[in-house]
Amino acid sequence: MSYRATPVADDAPEKITVTGLDFFYGDFHALTDITVGIKEKAVTAFIGPSGCGKSTFLRCFNRMNDLIPGTRAEGTITLDGQDIYAAGVDPVDLRRRIGMIFQQPNPFPMSIYDNVAFGPRLQGIKKAELDEIVQTSLERANLWKETKDILGRNGLALSGGQQQRLCIARVLAVEPEVMLMDEPCSAIDPTSVQKIEDLMDELKDRITIIIVTHNMQQAARVSDFTAFFLQELAGEAAVLVEYDRTPNIFTSPKDRRTEDYITGRFG
Amino acid sequence: MREGFRQELKELKAEVLSIGRAVTGVTRDAVTSLVEGDVDLAEKVIAGDAEIDRRTLGVEEHSLEVIATQFPVARDLRLLHSLTYIALHLERMADLGVNIARAAKRTADRRGPQTLYDLIQAQGNLVYRVLDATCEALEKNDLELARKLQDLDEPIDHLYKQFFRELARLQDEEDIEWASMMVLASRYLERIADNAVDIGERIAYLVTGDFDALHDLDQEND
Repeated sequence: MSYRATPVADDAPEKITVTGLDFFYGDFHALTDITVGIKEKAVTAFIGPSGCGKSTFLRCFNRMNDLIPGTRAEGTITLDGQDIYAAGVDPVDLRRRIGMIFQQPNPFPMSIYDNVAFGPRLQGIKKAELDEIVQTSLERANLWKETKDILGRNGLALSGGQQQRLCIARVLAVEPEVMLMDEPCSAIDPTSVQKIEDLMDELKDRITIIIVTHNMQQAARVSDFTAFFLQELAGEAAVLVEYDRTPNIFTSPKDRRTEDYITGRFG
Repeated sequence: MREGFRQELKELKAEVLSIGRAVTGVTRDAVTSLVEGDVDLAEKVIAGDAEIDRRTLGVEEHSLEVIATQFPVARDLRLLHSLTYIALHLERMADLGVNIARAAKRTADRRGPQTLYDLIQAQGNLVYRVLDATCEALEKNDLELARKLQDLDEPIDHLYKQFFRELARLQDEEDIEWASMMVLASRYLERIADNAVDIGERIAYLVTGDFDALHDLDQEND
């Protein structure tokens, strides 16, 4: 893994800008007054104890929470300056621009080739181009060498770590601008974890990555920026306690609550 | 697991503090051996250096083990890093003490003017005060005291300069080797205190997590 030699510039543009976001599951106020700018072509990690709302927050970015009845978001989230909750925004199109990787790899029960070709086919891309897209996407997901001779095999026959990279290739095939990763390495073996972390480092040349992780060493290794979320009392809305460059968070956090959490004094 | 880790951090800090107090003792003995021409005491200082070297190396080894196995962050990481750094300074300070003891051995058979011995003793007394304050600042994470070390160091530098002036006055009648040994001893004392001021800067970083503050302090020093 290449260590981030060049830090993201201070004036690097924001890909996603969140302003005064509150989020509700019915009566339950899950997140309160979150304001944060996610830098373009950087890796941002969300950390915090279980139930602190970091996954909920992640799912606001591609409006995955819309699928749960009774939820609502207040405040604004913009992608390249455009409000993603504005009337007329097509969530399906949004989810093509902002892809998502889940904790459990979830390949479709179809061939490796068809898994990767699935999105482009929906966009009406013809067979002649598909071969190239499948190969490029598998290459970018560092899975091509392992699968080029077995593209017709069912995606579910791969190992867990390979399945996760297949899911990444499937997301990459539709050329997303942002990739959301919700604990992508929790269910896979250490060698595969290493491969996915390397992959994130390569991918951020072209896309913006946001990762939710319970593994603080992973957050420290892979991310340029870290945001720490905390629900201080059960039943209360979670807040964004601190957001800073990752090296600052892990050497000199400014907020005592961040310090206590990352040094294992609670949580 | 985490409890054991906290205990290790406490023990490491206690060890560095203990080395710090040993270095204060070394400095006292070295100055006494010089001022009183006590060769036995000088030998004791010189012989004790290996133990301080061994202990400071132990701190470094132990810190590395903890870093490798416990993934310390934030104030835990700053503590381990600072302790290693402080131990290195202490090791150098003990070496300077040994240099003073060597000067004591080489000058013990002669007796120079009392004013110069008095000056060295006065300078030594100020240095002990800096060393005690350094240990106290580390023990209590006392930012204010750590920042005051620089003020405590100032009169030591003045005495070093005064030492030169006194020497110039006596130059003709004193033998050069004796005089240069005394100047060097005064210089070593001044260097011991400078190292203590550096430790104070490290303590400030340890407490605040702010490298810029440390840099600002350095600028003031220049």
